[in-house]
Amino acid sequence: MTTSSFQSLEEAISDEHFPEVDLALRRGRHVGRDDGTAYDYLVDALDHLEPFYRRFGCELMQRADGYFYLLPSGDRLGRRQLTAGEMLVGQTLALMYLDPATLQHGGMVQRETLLQRLSGLLGTETLVRTLNPRRRKFDERIAAETVRTKVAEALRRLTDLGFIDSVDDAMLRLRPALMRFAEPVRDLSDRQAALERLVRSGEITLGEAVEKDDSDEEDENDGSDGHSAEDDEEEAGG
Amino acid sequence: MPSDPSRLIAALARDRINLDLKTLDLCFLAGLYLRADRASLASFEEDVLIDMFEQVCDVVDPGAERPRKRATHAIQRLRDQRMLARVDGAGIVRSGEYTLTRLAAAVVEYFLADEALTRESLTLLTGTLRAQLAEILAAARRAETEDAWREHVVAPLRITVGDLVGGIERRQRGLDSQQEEVQAEIAKLLQVDWFGAVDRCQSLLDTTTNTLRELNEVLLRDTHHFVALLQEIQALASEAEQAEPEEAVQRVIEHVDRIAAWGGARQRAWSEYYQYVHRYLRDVVRLDPDRALSQRLREQVANWPSTPFHLLVAAAPSIRLLRPLESRVERPAVMRPRTDREGSPDLVDPEDAGLNIETLVEGALAAGARSLAEVTEWVLPQFPADLRYAVTGRVADVLARITRTRSAIERPWRTVAPRLEVEDWELPREGDRR
Repeated sequence: MTTSSFQSLEEAISDEHFPEVDLALRRGRHVGRDDGTAYDYLVDALDHLEPFYRRFGCELMQRADGYFYLLPSGDRLGRRQLTAGEMLVGQTLALMYLDPATLQHGGMVQRETLLQRLSGLLGTETLVRTLNPRRRKFDERIAAETVRTKVAEALRRLTDLGFIDSVDDAMLRLRPALMRFAEPVRDLSDRQAALERLVRSGEITLGEAVEKDDSDEEDENDGSDGHSAEDDEEEAGG
Repeated sequence: MPSDPSRLIAALARDRINLDLKTLDLCFLAGLYLRADRASLASFEEDVLIDMFEQVCDVVDPGAERPRKRATHAIQRLRDQRMLARVDGAGIVRSGEYTLTRLAAAVVEYFLADEALTRESLTLLTGTLRAQLAEILAAARRAETEDAWREHVVAPLRITVGDLVGGIERRQRGLDSQQEEVQAEIAKLLQVDWFGAVDRCQSLLDTTTNTLRELNEVLLRDTHHFVALLQEIQALASEAEQAEPEEAVQRVIEHVDRIAAWGGARQRAWSEYYQYVHRYLRDVVRLDPDRALSQRLREQVANWPSTPFHLLVAAAPSIRLLRPLESRVERPAVMRPRTDREGSPDLVDPEDAGLNIETLVEGALAAGARSLAEVTEWVLPQFPADLRYAVTGRVADVLARITRTRSAIERPWRTVAPRLEVEDWELPREGDRR
């Protein structure tokens, strides 16, 4: 027996929340409790929307942490894999989400603290090389600036995807959807087995990301100036 | 005291107001405060101050040398910062008698007094405030003269009511800092004891939530009554055309509104925090009692560059909106209306005023003028007032061309006409000119 207040799919998609929620989900956003009525709508319409999205070749996923997202399994709906920057920043933020120190401020963290944590976890050199795999030589100042640029870009995209909220220039609010980054280590089973299970369910891909050129991605996403410090350096050097 | 905040701040900055209190100073003040409180002392003799300082020194800085000398410096430092005041007025005739100032008492009370708002203290304060306002209302009804209004309405509103409302506000700030402490304590408990701290955290959360809810209920109920009483007093003052009481009531109403707004705002903020912590305890702590997830995730991040994986997310492109079809539009050439641009020229007076300046300057030199100021004074009366400024410059120009000028390093300013001065040059005698 269904507990939904919607009697049919037609009623569910006639609801005023549907267009906004549908567009958000198709763009990869994780809709959580913090989204208020949009989340309540998804809880209510879940029984009707699950088969609806399955016809587009994707699963409407609901997690116990309190969020929804759309997981495409075929080619009918576009999908993308998160970049190295987004993955590193996302996992570090998930770690900070678990830290009781974050609890004191109601889930708010400073961007500066994130950078310190990232550098502490990976070491500066590994961080720089992971975020700039194509660059061989590094000037310390340029490398630091590039890391900050990449992290800022990753944060902007993670905000769009509903993993975090950007409160202001200095503060971020962490959302439960960050726990997706902790999925491979969530249970006590072998991590490799967990990764294989997640690959089978279409949650993740393994190996190096096929990353597009930065400027292409910037153009595609928002048309903002994709110039980076690295670009400037290269131009300056001829 | 100036009421304008900018002027007040400027005055504080001008007087270079500052406070520089070391731990020893604060402990010394606290010692004096407690001693005065227990022994009901209004002031302290110098020996008592020194004795207290030595006692404090024994606790704070046991190895300190020459405590009496340090006491003398400390007393002077505290007097300079208006923490201690000498009250005997005997000067050097005998040793002084000192008292703690209002500033010192406030500083010590901040650290010593536990003045957070509780249901009991709030109910007591609001009850007293209500009775006081009822009395003032009765006095306002009886008041007939300006003096009666001032004595029985304005004064109690400013002093008694002001103090009571200020007392509530002070305790609200106390509760704010208590809440911050609770938040820090919850984080600390989890940090230390993780799963074992869940019940204690839950109880801390519930206690603060209940306190806030109760306070907000009292505030909502009582502030409504206060405002009703105050508005009645204000109406009476307005009817009696008494501006001062009206203004005093308005200030109290604004204060009361602020108190009421505090209750709502704090409850909302706490509610958000409560939900967040509650979810954390349920989804993070209870599901991971051994706190192993954080450790495994830390290892995952550290090893990620060598064994990378990537989350997949939906990325449907935005719907592409095509522009509406438009047939090619012929743009008209840029044009402007034809007009007759060959109009007759206007007739104006010739500008020949400056033509005879050189002649006039030569005339002035011939007449014996020995400086730029004298030449200018001689020439200017020949011209209308509106041209004199421009002519002054031309005189200097002509003079520089037809003669050699000398000037001191500091050229003196001389008046050559009303509201017109020049920096003077001396001129050579007639035989020395070019």
